[in-house]
Amino acid sequence: MKAICEAALSVSSGDVVAFLLRHPLLVATLKILVVFAVLSGLVAYLVYLERKVLAFMQARLGPMRVGPWGLLQPIADGLKLLLKEDLIPAGADKAIFLLAPVISVVAAFSVFAAIPYGPGGWTITNPNVGILLILGVSSLGIYGIILGGWSSNSHYPLMGAFRSAAQLVSYEVAAGLAIVSVLLMANSLSLVEIVRRQQQMGAWNAFLNPVAFLIYLIAGVAETNRNPFDLPEAESELTGGFHTEYSGFRFALYFLAEYTNMVLIASLATVLFLGGWLRPFPGVRWLWPLDFAPVAAFVGAALFVGWLGHGSRVRAERIFFTVLALGCVVLAAVVAVPVVLHAIQGVFWFTLKVLVILYGFIWYRATFPRYRFDQLMAVGWRRLIPLALASLMVTAAMLLWTGNRAWPLTLANLLVGVGMTVVLTAGRSGRPPRSALEATR
Amino acid sequence: MAEATFLDANELVLNMGPQHPATHGVLRVKLRLDGERVLGSECVIGYLHRGVEKIAENRTYAQFAPYTDRMDYVAAVTNGMGYCEAVEKLLGVELPPRAQWTRMILAELQRIASHLLWLGTHALDLGAMTPVFYTFREREEILNIFENYCGARLTTHAFRIGGLQYDLYDEFEADVRKFCDDLPGKIDEYEQLLTTNRIWMERTQGVGVLKPDDAIALGVTGPVLRGSGVQWDVRKAQPYEAYAQVAFDVPIGRHGDTYDRYLVRLQEMRQSVRIIRQCLERLEPGPILGKVGKIIKPPAGTEVYHSIEGPKGELGYFVVSDGTVNPYRVRIRPPSFLNLQALDKMIQGQLVADVVAIIGTIDIVLGEVDR
Amino acid sequence: MKERLRKIFLVDLLRGLRVTFSYQRPSATYTEQYPLERPPVAERYRGAPRLNNHPVTGETLCIACNLCALACPENLIVVGWQRTADRKKKLTTFTYDLSRCMFCGLCEDACPVDALELTQDFEIARYSREGLIWDRKQLEEGPAPTRYTR
Repeated sequence: MKAICEAALSVSSGDVVAFLLRHPLLVATLKILVVFAVLSGLVAYLVYLERKVLAFMQARLGPMRVGPWGLLQPIADGLKLLLKEDLIPAGADKAIFLLAPVISVVAAFSVFAAIPYGPGGWTITNPNVGILLILGVSSLGIYGIILGGWSSNSHYPLMGAFRSAAQLVSYEVAAGLAIVSVLLMANSLSLVEIVRRQQQMGAWNAFLNPVAFLIYLIAGVAETNRNPFDLPEAESELTGGFHTEYSGFRFALYFLAEYTNMVLIASLATVLFLGGWLRPFPGVRWLWPLDFAPVAAFVGAALFVGWLGHGSRVRAERIFFTVLALGCVVLAAVVAVPVVLHAIQGVFWFTLKVLVILYGFIWYRATFPRYRFDQLMAVGWRRLIPLALASLMVTAAMLLWTGNRAWPLTLANLLVGVGMTVVLTAGRSGRPPRSALEATR
Repeated sequence: MAEATFLDANELVLNMGPQHPATHGVLRVKLRLDGERVLGSECVIGYLHRGVEKIAENRTYAQFAPYTDRMDYVAAVTNGMGYCEAVEKLLGVELPPRAQWTRMILAELQRIASHLLWLGTHALDLGAMTPVFYTFREREEILNIFENYCGARLTTHAFRIGGLQYDLYDEFEADVRKFCDDLPGKIDEYEQLLTTNRIWMERTQGVGVLKPDDAIALGVTGPVLRGSGVQWDVRKAQPYEAYAQVAFDVPIGRHGDTYDRYLVRLQEMRQSVRIIRQCLERLEPGPILGKVGKIIKPPAGTEVYHSIEGPKGELGYFVVSDGTVNPYRVRIRPPSFLNLQALDKMIQGQLVADVVAIIGTIDIVLGEVDR
Repeated sequence: MKERLRKIFLVDLLRGLRVTFSYQRPSATYTEQYPLERPPVAERYRGAPRLNNHPVTGETLCIACNLCALACPENLIVVGWQRTADRKKKLTTFTYDLSRCMFCGLCEDACPVDALELTQDFEIARYSREGLIWDRKQLEEGPAPTRYTR
């Protein structure tokens, strides 16, 4: 005992630092912290972005009161939720009720450990079964929803939870089948390998296999419970679905989990179908100006922010936006340094693609009505799954037959997509859209 | 025996409302569910009862007019118009033409405003959150016209017994014309968002079917009746004001489902624009008030039933006079109240999600149901 | 067939998406930032009541005829008066209960001398019900809403 103590004391502080610095967990921990911080911020501002984009699509301005152009709104919202009372309904199963949102949020966040954000060291970890890990862990999040709905001991949350469970299970099948096509093409379960494969092919999987891409996108919207598949929380029917009885911080956790899942679906779509960190047309040499897109993006941001500040009538806002614009200019200058440019190239494209997909999610929400539950199931089981199966078979056959040639694969997929849709909709002609208008007399 | 929970029974009783976002006010619907399928329903109303009919007995004829605005509060102009016309019929007063045309313009604008509000909220119930903002924008233009004309936007109290209180303001014609020119394009946009949208079609077609016979038996009127294919519009059947002198079509549906009622209302908006255009052509300067005394005292023992085509259906007033300044009895036939009767018929066998669509498609206003 | 093709290539959905996308142009924004931008109110707007004074002499225009109180459906106006030495009515008090007012405008219609008027002031919220019962002084001065600036 004494010997151990002496040995411990004899270790100098320098050794400890050296030990820690050399420890493989250090870098991983740092990366996790960075990803967690960036992701939390991104999710918070995703809510802001959603409110703004929705507002502009609806001829409104959205949040404008907290900070310039409402930029501090997410912070105000977070504070409000934190300060609210944490209500527990009288009949609730307390332990499960308290635990459920945590399950959701943990599942949603932990998945990001396996996402490759860029080439080389831009991943936390690169397991060789990355896609299985992600699918498995993200599916755990559904427990949070079911348990939350169940333990609330209330009708609306219960129905919301049932709907949610059924919906997730059904659409997981379609999404899984779409992913399998990609796995076949890449011949690997590793996400990094899937991206590399797209580099070798010289084309994104979205072009090689558009049908699977479309199916994955639709299923992804459904899995994140977003409009037009937002039945579990259909406000006009279920007053909020599984989180009806939740308030305060626990509600915020569900909210966080939902938006994190959105980012996850978008990231996965990017990796699997949109070439991950690759720039558009990775194989085309003469498109080299695209390599300078990060610089252009920061310059553009500076111009936009400057324009906002220029239009503002409030002095404090003008100063704020000017500082922000200058910051963007500085960042643009930093990014223009070749070493930095090369380093962030991958992450830039990855982020851009994720944002585009997220914008799409918001756009659908602004446009579409909501499916009914049985129709949602019909779309999942009777349309998407047969389509995904057909696409999978064709992909496999083409890979065997024509090998790695891109055009036959794309064409065959498109053909089978259209063909299957014709078959699936046959005999279900439905009514033409304007039957009553002819009867105006 | 162990305590029975709601999971033990095959039937689940779900209370929708009175505080539910999709019941448009304080309607409470007790649903008996088998899974998500509705077995039956029972409406509980009266949460907004203010005794409007009794109030009428304690007010003079002129004093009661503002209360009518508060029944169907999204269509105050037509409410007031129905009441004023009923009393005018009781008094035997002739309206000057300018008052008639003005009333028709404002009533049709109100019909459009009411349908716009219905369209927005109905789409919102079905999960499309954007149309409501677009329709409110167009409705805002109408409300601005009302505000400029009579000084109020929602509960307008726009007319007085015997004619109008105010003459039209100077830019009225230009404002209305501009609105009439803009609206059809805006309706086209709603149609692009909804009419051909596959989700919208799946959500509304074949949902809440009301057969013509049932509709007539239940006393349903307005777009709900016409959506079932029955051609009945008070403006055509018993023309009041100068509706006999304008040309317009009455759109009717064929299948009696939610989709047809949607189309009927959209088409009615276009027809209203047509009527307004004709009214503007006929509008000429002249007196705005008929021969009505300062104190309104219809002869004792007279009674009258007068109905107009409100945005939601036949809006009727039955007024009895006992020769004093107060009416002896005012009985109101509110379209929403009678249309709501069809709810049970329409939602039996449908899914819970459809209940929201069907309550929306009836276009009820609880202020009118409960009075 | 055309209908079928449209369905397969999601034309109906794309048309809807186009509408919402085009509305993102900043010029399409329709809303007002209320406390900062104050909406113009119509000339005939029926808002807070005001008891008018003579613009030159500053004396009240009201002749205490009580017609407004009689016309009001809600009986919320109470007019108080005294007989002067030459047997004329002179206004002493005037109470107007805004909490019950429905702004129908019947009182201003009834007024024979344009003394009582519903004005364009619309910010009449108060922190108490009592605050909504206005006396003659308040009616002559009108409401003084807080003007918010950033």
